[in-house]
Amino acid sequence: MIKENNIKLIFLSLSLLLIILIFFFPFFWIITSSFKSPEEIIATSTTIIPRSFTLEHYNKILFNSDFFIYLKNSLIVSFSSMIISIILSVSAAYGLHKLKFYGNKFVEYSLLVTYAFPGVILLVPIYLLFAKVNLLNSYFALIVVNVLFATPFAVWMLKAFFKLIPNEIEEAAYIDGASRYIVISRIIVPLAAPGIASVAIFCFIISWTEYLFASILISGDDLKTLPVGLAGIVGQYQIDWGFLLSGAVLASLPVILLFVFIGKYFVSGLTEGAVK
Amino acid sequence: MKKNNIEGWLFVSPLVIWISLIILVPIYIAFELSLFNVKIIGTSGKFVGIDNYIKLFGKSKFLNASLNSFYWIIGNAICQTFFAFTIALTINYKFPGKKIMANWIILSFIIPTVVVVVIWKLMLSSSSGVINSVLIDIGLLDEATGFFSSPNKAFISLVLINSWRWSPFLALIILSGLNSINREMYDASKVDGANFVQQFLFITFPNLKSVLFVLGLVGTLLSFNIFDIIWLITKGGPSSATTTLPLLIYETAFTKFRISQAATLSIVTSFLLLLFSIIFIKSMAPKEDD
Repeated sequence: MIKENNIKLIFLSLSLLLIILIFFFPFFWIITSSFKSPEEIIATSTTIIPRSFTLEHYNKILFNSDFFIYLKNSLIVSFSSMIISIILSVSAAYGLHKLKFYGNKFVEYSLLVTYAFPGVILLVPIYLLFAKVNLLNSYFALIVVNVLFATPFAVWMLKAFFKLIPNEIEEAAYIDGASRYIVISRIIVPLAAPGIASVAIFCFIISWTEYLFASILISGDDLKTLPVGLAGIVGQYQIDWGFLLSGAVLASLPVILLFVFIGKYFVSGLTEGAVK
Repeated sequence: MKKNNIEGWLFVSPLVIWISLIILVPIYIAFELSLFNVKIIGTSGKFVGIDNYIKLFGKSKFLNASLNSFYWIIGNAICQTFFAFTIALTINYKFPGKKIMANWIILSFIIPTVVVVVIWKLMLSSSSGVINSVLIDIGLLDEATGFFSSPNKAFISLVLINSWRWSPFLALIILSGLNSINREMYDASKVDGANFVQQFLFITFPNLKSVLFVLGLVGTLLSFNIFDIIWLITKGGPSSATTTLPLLIYETAFTKFRISQAATLSIVTSFLLLLFSIIFIKSMAPKEDD
């Protein structure tokens, strides 16, 4: 018995070490590097503990670039996509969860497939469609696409959360004469609030990180999102690493901040409710 | 159970209409385009029937990209399964700092893909990358290597980078499956003398069926779809070794300006993915118990 526990302990510490090294160290590395002098970033001999400290890269990106324009665009697009996704997916998830109707299994599986299906296959035709209806170069173009990418998984997660709400609560409300609308807004939504929060953060992340469509559907500099702005620096022949790294850290900051506050709902939502 | 046809459809229709419009109308447009010979967006071409389709299957570029996509899916499936299970099984144990780790392991998934690209371009840089200098220090390498310079190295590096991004997210979904397994089964098996490898094979794995079904389906399609990580790091090179179907479609449409060809590619690819999904659902979908 003791022997098996020892083996387990060794395995556990080894895999913990590996996980920290592989999944957390890179973040330590780019954050510290973004404060290093340009010479130290590209030096051939690397040191784990930084030798220099400078704010010049952040100075440059905050006061001498289009960072705030891109940030504003990303925020507008992500928040709008998130709100529309939530409304559409709460309604659909409730319908799929509570109301058995003809074709519900078909809708459910189609959603699962569409979650992964679109992407690049739709790139060319969506570009042509949006060109036809004059939607290119607008926030709405990106919102339409982001909602498409976010909602299928959102519905799937929400359904799992709705399942956790005891049926009796709802039944009791109907006996008291409540309408469907009252039941949803006063009972279902408040009780599923942690679930809705985790779905919201998922939708926000999907929109915040989207690059492909944003790079094709938007050509005006004043409407570009942060990932597209950053990719512009990545693509340059001579990369200004300090500038790029501080940009990468700042572009990740909003999602990380959001995650500090509602991240635990997202993770517990994924790990406790999602697949039941 | 009583059917609520009208009310049910009323609830799902806003989303269903939104999604169908944004998928079906473009697919119709693509299909129409694939029958014509249009090059630059906005110009018109002449009707060529199924010519584009016939030409496509004779093109070595198409075959090469299809094979790359196939290897890409397999490579990612193997790597991600390994990483995701390692993470999930580790976090499933009790240890100090478990909560923090479970919350923040997903960091690589919530940051923009462009940031993932920045991180690994810096870490794997041949001139100043930390990975190169560590590998040299511990004696695994004699001199700095270019991780994206040869076809094989570039392909493997990209698979690892993409797995780095996705595994933590998949791990949390696996964890949800692990949490739903009845603890008593493990206790009972212990009484019967099962070790932890046997427990994994005969209790953990079979009980994860519905989770693994979803991961198998969604994971495959999601891996297939990856574009930005590859495009931003290697642009499909060296010598087309990392050009998967998504990159080929993008290249054909937006750098070579052959819109009809790109549309044909999109239609063929959609058809292949749809076929895969239907077969996968029909053969692997777990039976509903409730």
